[in-house]
Amino acid sequence: MAGLGKFLVRRALTFIPTLIGVTLIVFIIAYIIPANPVRAWAGGEKASQAAIEMIKRQYHLDQPWYNQYVFLVKGLFTNTLLDPLNQEPVFTNIGNRFVVTFQLALFAFFFLVLMGLPLGIISALKRNSVTDMFLRILALIFISTPIYVMAYLFIWLFFLHWSTTTLAGIPPAPPHQITHIPVIDSIITLDWNNFVQQVERFWLPGFTLGLGAAGVLMRFTRNSFLEAYSRDSTLFLKAKGVPKSRLYKHVLKNALVPVITILALQFGGLLAGTPITETIFNLPGIGRYALQAIMYLDFPALIGVTFLYAIVFVTANLIADILYAVIDPRVRF
Amino acid sequence: MTEKTVKYEEKEEYEMGILDRVSDRLIESFASFITLFRKDWKRKNQSRIKEWKLMAYSINRSPPTLLGLFIVIVYLFFGIFGPYLVTWPYDFFPVNYNVSSQLAHPGSSYFLNVTTIQNGYIIHYTTNVYYPLGSDTYGRDLLSILLAGARTALVLDIFIILIGPTMGIILGLISGYYGGKIDELIMRITDMFLAFPGLILAIALSAVLPGRIQSFLNAHVWAQTFVLKLFALHPRDVNNLGKLLAVFVALVIVWWPGYARVTRGSTLTEKENPYVEAARAIGLPKRTILFRHILPNIIGPILVMITMDFGGIILTEAGLSFLGLGAVPPIPDWGNLINQGSQYFPQAWWLVAFPGLVIITVVLGWNLLGDGLRDVLDPRTRRSLEFKLKKKTEGGEANA
Repeated sequence: MAGLGKFLVRRALTFIPTLIGVTLIVFIIAYIIPANPVRAWAGGEKASQAAIEMIKRQYHLDQPWYNQYVFLVKGLFTNTLLDPLNQEPVFTNIGNRFVVTFQLALFAFFFLVLMGLPLGIISALKRNSVTDMFLRILALIFISTPIYVMAYLFIWLFFLHWSTTTLAGIPPAPPHQITHIPVIDSIITLDWNNFVQQVERFWLPGFTLGLGAAGVLMRFTRNSFLEAYSRDSTLFLKAKGVPKSRLYKHVLKNALVPVITILALQFGGLLAGTPITETIFNLPGIGRYALQAIMYLDFPALIGVTFLYAIVFVTANLIADILYAVIDPRVRF
Repeated sequence: MTEKTVKYEEKEEYEMGILDRVSDRLIESFASFITLFRKDWKRKNQSRIKEWKLMAYSINRSPPTLLGLFIVIVYLFFGIFGPYLVTWPYDFFPVNYNVSSQLAHPGSSYFLNVTTIQNGYIIHYTTNVYYPLGSDTYGRDLLSILLAGARTALVLDIFIILIGPTMGIILGLISGYYGGKIDELIMRITDMFLAFPGLILAIALSAVLPGRIQSFLNAHVWAQTFVLKLFALHPRDVNNLGKLLAVFVALVIVWWPGYARVTRGSTLTEKENPYVEAARAIGLPKRTILFRHILPNIIGPILVMITMDFGGIILTEAGLSFLGLGAVPPIPDWGNLINQGSQYFPQAWWLVAFPGLVIITVVLGWNLLGDGLRDVLDPRTRRSLEFKLKKKTEGGEANA
């Protein structure tokens, strides 16, 4: 554990090219569009020439491309880059929406762990039985189902048929804000009413989002368990005559090492994988913000969102690496 | 020579089912087919053919893989012949002749008073449209659109797989084999694309590219004709092709980095083997070493990945058209049907349910096949199965 600090610094340095690259990709995409986004930002066909000129100057669009790029990146870091559609700093917009997406990802993660881990372990314990076959096919169906089909099926079942959820608006945050994630705040402040409101609104989108990932986790857990089971240490325990329940406990400990690191990556994937879910369930998160940014050719916003996504991705990877090293003593930095 | 072969095959007898005979016959005829072009191929590659037969046996013994294979074959069949099996063409809009044929229930039928111009004459006629699976917002028969949409899905699927993963594999081979600065450069670029959520990149590209592609298509008639023939579309839909091809380009760009990374990883370990060194020592060109020696030995997991990605591309492509990008009506597309249905959900439930079911089935089929291939391509599992089979015959003989 001694080298953790050094390791973190070294990893952080490798992030820099990735982050620069991601923003560059968006910039190139923005550059190749034939349409003139400025006219759209200024209000469409009727926009006056003066307004267009002003916006061009404001976003440095009349300068060479490297100046434009530097302007965008500088704006991102100092949070002075304004979203041309509502004239607020891009990261303020993203911050407001990230709360929603983070909460959605938390709910999805809850269902993911709740279903993926136990079912995967059951599947491995009863390997090659009917239960195993059923669970494996179930996992494959989870993976193969497009999220929008699943979402409409669930909306029909849980909203139209049984009315166990709401699909409009966002419940207000509890009065005392500590972490700024409403559902966590309401748990901490013991605000039962608000907690119920949050759960009612978020459980179904979370469930939908988590289900597809649960299929992946089920398969991964099963394989990891079987791999741990086929090790020599298991053979030794068996030869020693250890009872089955204790044997499985040992195997489980070994099997969970890769699973936990995968969980960190999956949480990152959930955070980034929300555009369709948020569109269907009408949640104002960053996925929908990104979609809107693309539709309205709002490239300052898009560059901000992708920057955030890249940060989420590299952080998830970093956490996975750290977890791996913390859990598995053989791994050194 | 032939006698020898017969004896060789007689020595190892397997318990054969009808499927095994079919697969044997198929592989034999395939081998004979290659022998037509390459002299003595069948004799020189006996061991390879035998290995193929073993693979087929292990597929024949796993019902999920067979189910997957069956679904995939059906998908390929409808992808090729679907547009010619439809009862109504995809660009015939019954809603123009009878408004109530819009969003017709499954199993209903409507009369249309059609007025068209043919050869300069105005023609009136009455026809009856039967909707076995209901109709979409244009009153088009859902079943026909699903059939015609199979072509759109298949063409995109095949061409994206042909270009994206191939690019990734080549980059991965180069990066893993040469190492050093080239490796560093390629891997940094790969990391960049991997850090970018694929869906967002695909959405951005397919929103931005259509204009460029459309102007390219309008300038090149041969490309237009080729694409129209490929998707089995009517020439008057040429202005919708830009959006369709934008999805294609977007997915190609999204789809290579994973392959580059996986290929690089396995190349790194594979190139340390003595046979690579031997090939280098006798002075084979690098191209030969990479593609004839290293690639065949690392292709197994990549093939599995490709099989699964056939399903993944269908999912992503349908997701993009669900968001309103890519295929726009009248181009038949499964994801677009769901997009239409989502605006009338739950009244028009069939527009979400049936295309959804089709997508799930096809993707499940590819995934089942990929899972099966993973077992088959792994020599350890294949060999263990071979062992089982042999034991069975031995046991049978002992009993007799």
